[in-house]
Amino acid sequence: MKKVKKQDITRLLSQWQKEFTVFVPSRENGAAEMTVWDGQDVSFLDWYRNTVIPPKANFLLNMEIMFGFRKEDGSYNLELPAAATQKQLVFGIRPCDARATSIIDMVFKDAYEDKYYLNRRENTLLIGMGCLNPYDSCFCTSLGLGPAEATDVDLMLTDIGDDFLIEEVTDKGKELVARTEGVVEATRDDESRAGEVKDTAYKKVTRKIDTREIEKRLPASFDNEEFWEKVAAKCVSCGICTFLCPTCYCFDINDEMLKGDGARYRNWDSCSFPLYTKMPAENPREEKWRRVRQKVHHKYTFYPSLFDVIACTGCGRCIRLCPVNWDITQTLESVPAEAATGTEKK
Amino acid sequence: MSETEQKLRNEAMTLLEQGRADYIIGYEAGSLKFTTTPLITRDKDDIDRLVINPFILNNLSVFLGDISGKAGIVAKGCDSRSIVSLIQDQQLAREDIVIIGVPCSGVIDLNKVEKLTGKDRDELDDIAWAGDKAVVTIEGAKKEFPAKDVLMDDCLSCDMPAPQEYDILLDEVGPLVCDKELSRSQIKELEEMSPEQRWEFWKNEFSRCIRCYACRQVCPACFCKRCFVEETEPQWISPLPKWQDNLIFQMTRMIHVAGRCTDCGECQRSCPVNIPLRSLSKKMEEIADELFQYKAGTDKDAPPLMAAYESEEAEDFIR
Repeated sequence: MKKVKKQDITRLLSQWQKEFTVFVPSRENGAAEMTVWDGQDVSFLDWYRNTVIPPKANFLLNMEIMFGFRKEDGSYNLELPAAATQKQLVFGIRPCDARATSIIDMVFKDAYEDKYYLNRRENTLLIGMGCLNPYDSCFCTSLGLGPAEATDVDLMLTDIGDDFLIEEVTDKGKELVARTEGVVEATRDDESRAGEVKDTAYKKVTRKIDTREIEKRLPASFDNEEFWEKVAAKCVSCGICTFLCPTCYCFDINDEMLKGDGARYRNWDSCSFPLYTKMPAENPREEKWRRVRQKVHHKYTFYPSLFDVIACTGCGRCIRLCPVNWDITQTLESVPAEAATGTEKK
Repeated sequence: MSETEQKLRNEAMTLLEQGRADYIIGYEAGSLKFTTTPLITRDKDDIDRLVINPFILNNLSVFLGDISGKAGIVAKGCDSRSIVSLIQDQQLAREDIVIIGVPCSGVIDLNKVEKLTGKDRDELDDIAWAGDKAVVTIEGAKKEFPAKDVLMDDCLSCDMPAPQEYDILLDEVGPLVCDKELSRSQIKELEEMSPEQRWEFWKNEFSRCIRCYACRQVCPACFCKRCFVEETEPQWISPLPKWQDNLIFQMTRMIHVAGRCTDCGECQRSCPVNIPLRSLSKKMEEIADELFQYKAGTDKDAPPLMAAYESEEAEDFIR
C-alpha cells in the first residue's frame, strides 16, 4: 500500500487536474455536492462528511440533452451530442455512494446499454475516502459494507493522522498512483493504523436493520394495505428521498422546441410523484401509500429479485434530508412478521 | 414528560374515546437527534407517543386534506392560521376539525445552531432552553446562545404565537423573543440591491433547484389538487430543472400563496439545497399587510385576500 501526506493533497489534485476534470466536495453553491475543483480549495478535508447531492449526478445528470433536432422541409434532422470523452476524477466519494454507483450500473448496462451514462462512467476514476465520522442516519454496515471499506473505487484513501493511506483497488488506480508524484510506500504501522481507524468507524454506525428478516417479511407485506397506509401517512410526496438517493435512477424524457429548433432532454424523475405513473385512462399509484410501497419494495424486493442485490447502501440521505423525518429503517423494521391476508382490491 | 405533554395526551385520548375525532395529528419523537416527526393515527395505543418540545417544526395542517373524517390536530400559532386560511378557502369545514392549540415560544433552527457551533446536529449532545438562552452541550461542555441567535427567522417576526382559532388550549403562551430586523435581514439586503443584482441573486439561487417540490408539498397554502406545473395540455412550464423554469415555478407559487402564507417557514426549512424561499414569501406577506391590511388566517369568516375586492381599495399597487 501507498501513502500521501495530508499537506500534499493540493499537489496531488493539481497533478491529476492536468489529466482529468477533478471533482471534489464543495458547498460553495449552497448545498454540498461534487463540483469541479478550483485548483486551490481543499477545505472540504475539514468539513466533509457526505454530499447532499449524491455523486450519481456525475453520471446521470439531473438534466441532459439526448439529441438535438431541427425541423426542415417537413422532416427532422437529428443532431447527436458529442460522446462524453472528457476524463473525470471524483475525489472523496464515500463507500456507500461508490457501491451505489456500481449497483445502478447494472441497470444502465442491462438489456439496453445507456451510452450517456456508461460513457461518463467509463471515463471516470473514483477516488474513495473513508468515512470516519458517519451520521446518525447512516446504516451502511447493515448493507454489507463498512464506512471506510475499499470498495467499488479505483483508489481508497484512509485518514491515518498526518497521512492518507492509499489502497490501490483497481489496475486503473494502480497506474494512476504510479505516475503521481508525492506518493510513497506505506509502512506496516501505517497499514495497521488504517485498520484501527476503519474498525473505529465501523463501530460508529449504530443504526441497524436486519436485511435477512426484511427479505423474508417484505414480499409478503405487499398486499397489506393497512400497513402501508399507516407508514405512508406522514409522507408529503416530495422528491427529496428519491432525487437524492444514490441508487434511484429514474428519469423522464421531454422534448422542447422553439421555432423548429429543439432538443430531447432527460431529467430525474421520481416515483414519489403521482404524475410518474399517470396514464390517460388511470393512475395505478394515485394513492400515496402505493407510491411509498413502491419505493421501499423497489429497493428491497424488486431490485434484489432482478440483480441479486439490495438497491440501498445505507447512506442515510433519505432519512436526514426528509422534511418530516420519514425513516426507511423504521418502516423496514416494522414490517409485520405474518403474511398479510390480501386486503388489496385488484 | 412535561405537564403540557400529559395534558395533550389526555385531551387526545378523550377526543378519540368520545368520537369527537377519528384521527389525531400531532408530533412524536423523531428518529434523529433534535427531531420530531408527524404522528397521524386513529389508534388509541399511539396516544402516549405524542410530544411537545422545541423541535415541533412541521406545519401539520398540510395533512388535513388527506384525512377523511374528523381530525384533532396539534397547532402552534402559525399552524392555526394555516388552518383558518384553509377554512377561508373552503378546503376544510370548521366542524370537522378539533384544534388543540399549543403554546409556542418559537422553534429552534438547527442550521443556525450548526453554524454557531461548527458542529453538525448529530454531533451535539443536547439543546435546551434556559430562560431566554439556548444551552447547547457539545462533548460535555455547555455553551449558551441568546434565543434570537437560534430561533427560526419566521419565529423572530411572529406576532401571533398563540393559536388564533382553537377548541382546546393546552397552556398559556410564554414570552416570545422577537427581533423583526434580524428576521428580515436578508430581505433588507435584497431590497437594497439594484434590480439587476437581485436578478443575478435569484438566478444563482434557482440554478440549483432540483424541482423536488418539497417547498410545495409541505406548504398548507399549496392545496391545489393539481398544480399548474403538472398540467401537460397546455404545458405551462417545462419540467426540466432549468433556472428559468425553476424561477417561474416559484414565482407562480408565491403569487398563489400570497394572502395565505402565514410565514410558518416550512418551505425554506424543507429545501434540500437551501434556497432562501422565505425571503420571497415573507416579502409577499409584508406587501399584503401594507396594501390591504391583511394578515393571513386571522379571520375564518373573511373572504380570502385574492378573492375579494372593494371599490375603495387603493390601486397604486401596480408599480
